[in-house]
Amino acid sequence: MKPGARLLLVLALASLPVSGQEFSFDAAQYEKKPYELTGYLELKTERFSLNRNGAFYDLNFFDRPGTENIDRYGLLFKPSAKVRLGDAVTVNARAHLEAQRDSVQDASTNRFDEAYLSYKPDPGFTLEAGKVAMKWGKAYAWNPAGFIERPKDPNDPELAREGFTLLSADFIRNFDGALQTLAFTPVLLPVSTQLNSDFGSADHVNAAAKLYMLLHDTDIDLMFLNGGSRTRRYGFDFSRNLGTNLEVHGEWARVHDVQRGVTDSRGAVTPGRAHATSYVLGTRYLSERDTTYIVEYYRNGAGFSEGQMNDFYALVESGMDRLRTTGDTTLLRRAGALAQAQYGRPNAGRRYLYARVSQKEPFDILYFAPAVTLIANLDDGSASVAPELLYTGITNVELRARAFFLTRGARTEFGEKQNFRRLELLARLYF
Amino acid sequence: MLRLVFACLLLAASPSWGLDGNDLLKKVDRNLEPENYEMYRKLINIEPNGNRKEFVLYSVKKGRDKVVALFLEPASDKGRATLRSGDNMWLYIPNVGKPVRITSLQSVIGGVFNNADILRIDYGAEYNVEGMQEEKDGYLLDMKARSGEVAYDRLKMWVERKTVLPVKIEAYAASGLLIKTLHFKDIKDFGGGIRRPATVETDSPLFKGYRSVMLYSALKRRQVPDEVFTLNYLPRVEDLRK
Repeated sequence: MKPGARLLLVLALASLPVSGQEFSFDAAQYEKKPYELTGYLELKTERFSLNRNGAFYDLNFFDRPGTENIDRYGLLFKPSAKVRLGDAVTVNARAHLEAQRDSVQDASTNRFDEAYLSYKPDPGFTLEAGKVAMKWGKAYAWNPAGFIERPKDPNDPELAREGFTLLSADFIRNFDGALQTLAFTPVLLPVSTQLNSDFGSADHVNAAAKLYMLLHDTDIDLMFLNGGSRTRRYGFDFSRNLGTNLEVHGEWARVHDVQRGVTDSRGAVTPGRAHATSYVLGTRYLSERDTTYIVEYYRNGAGFSEGQMNDFYALVESGMDRLRTTGDTTLLRRAGALAQAQYGRPNAGRRYLYARVSQKEPFDILYFAPAVTLIANLDDGSASVAPELLYTGITNVELRARAFFLTRGARTEFGEKQNFRRLELLARLYF
Repeated sequence: MLRLVFACLLLAASPSWGLDGNDLLKKVDRNLEPENYEMYRKLINIEPNGNRKEFVLYSVKKGRDKVVALFLEPASDKGRATLRSGDNMWLYIPNVGKPVRITSLQSVIGGVFNNADILRIDYGAEYNVEGMQEEKDGYLLDMKARSGEVAYDRLKMWVERKTVLPVKIEAYAASGLLIKTLHFKDIKDFGGGIRRPATVETDSPLFKGYRSVMLYSALKRRQVPDEVFTLNYLPRVEDLRK
């Protein structure tokens, strides 16, 4: 046989789909190792188009008038490590190393989101000690019953958050019958000036607990927190599938003695104390065309009414008037302190709607998922609309482009924000 | 006389389940996997241009309807775990930090496989055999979902007579639309008396030109406590691996 023909024959044989060669898999290469290092590196660039008519623009830029855009570049490294010490003990850590640069300031954050020791002698019992990010509640965008966690950002509900230093146990029992699972999670969370100082007032050991049940194919949690650093609170949640494509969930929380200062338009603050009841009702539906709809209604019992928010915006306007006429910034600084404490937190109002529609792999483009998210303040009618494109087709790479468009109306929550538009490009590289 | 002896021999050789489709389905289920097992699978999504994306899963099953699966690869999905207990399904994503309920028709990985394929429980637990047709080398089972919670309304399963293992399954929606076809290939001896197809290829008229392949490895009997199949245990499934 001539060398050319031989080569052709070899190539032809190589191209035959022999199953043993086309696909091979041996589980031996996936043996558990005594340690693991995983995580991701994130590169993000954002452009904020500033809302020069917004109250929060005035508060943050009164000393730099004329700023129209902020371009921000961010680098985030999020490594996770696990070390196995025998069969029952693991040491787990997740770090958050972030650097940001924009036209206004540079910032960096270095911390452990989690660092804890876990003792698991059998599947029915776990003991954890250290910094742990507990996640309670069944709702997607808001978790009023997440009593021992940092608040969730509804724009990024799936983002990993920093935990608190605590001691927790987890007891699980399974049964036959309507009650299939019962799990009890008690938690002790100490607060001092050195430890968990941002949780609440110092020198308390807070006790919290969650009781989980899988009852009649419904997830049910009962939870409470008591101890002094924060006021007493209790709540429940549920989640249930109503079919192969429909899930419903809800979350309810009652917080005792919520302290809140309500300002009038001149900056006179009236302190108040009352119990607050918050809840979320939501659903997740998957259509035959692989479109996922998530809709949630949130009632924030500790939120400000439309009139109270209007008084705050009027205070900022008065502060700006005083600055222009006298150069005095006292009123603006007072409004700034109120914004930081209460009025400026995400979704400080009373009634909200969250709706997210995402389409899996349209036009037969595998691993491509466009989505659009709406967050609306139902009291003042303002809203944020965020279309996004997500592509995960390259192994261990996630690419996302997102834009946020905020409605522009005076004396409305989203109309008074610092930005009226935000564009974001993000790449995550997993290892 | 010879014909009568031959007929008797034929009857004696015929397995007793031959007359009942649901009994045959039970046998298929046990031949595919023991009731309690652990195994590793590789899922490969193949695009029309030849591009591939691979996932490696570790799974543990107990009884007829409890199964948990943990993603080991790729790194972007590592630590994700899915749990099924009857018609209930949950997904745990390490970043999100808590399990959320999912539905059987969703797909946690994209491509042709959906959650019901990844967290498959016994066919007999989900389907009732409504009709059985004898064919040249085996049987054709016409199966109807036992409830509306099941991902596919109807299945047609071709079972090989000699091995009592499926050769092909067609999955249909309630509307009669063919959703996907599974082809079972490469029968392999996994040890411990387990001999089953090591490759399942899937194609779908809804994803023209795309193909998904599931490869099996290290399938063996294993009994774990019931507490493993709970929402609270989902973040710790990795601890089951040896």
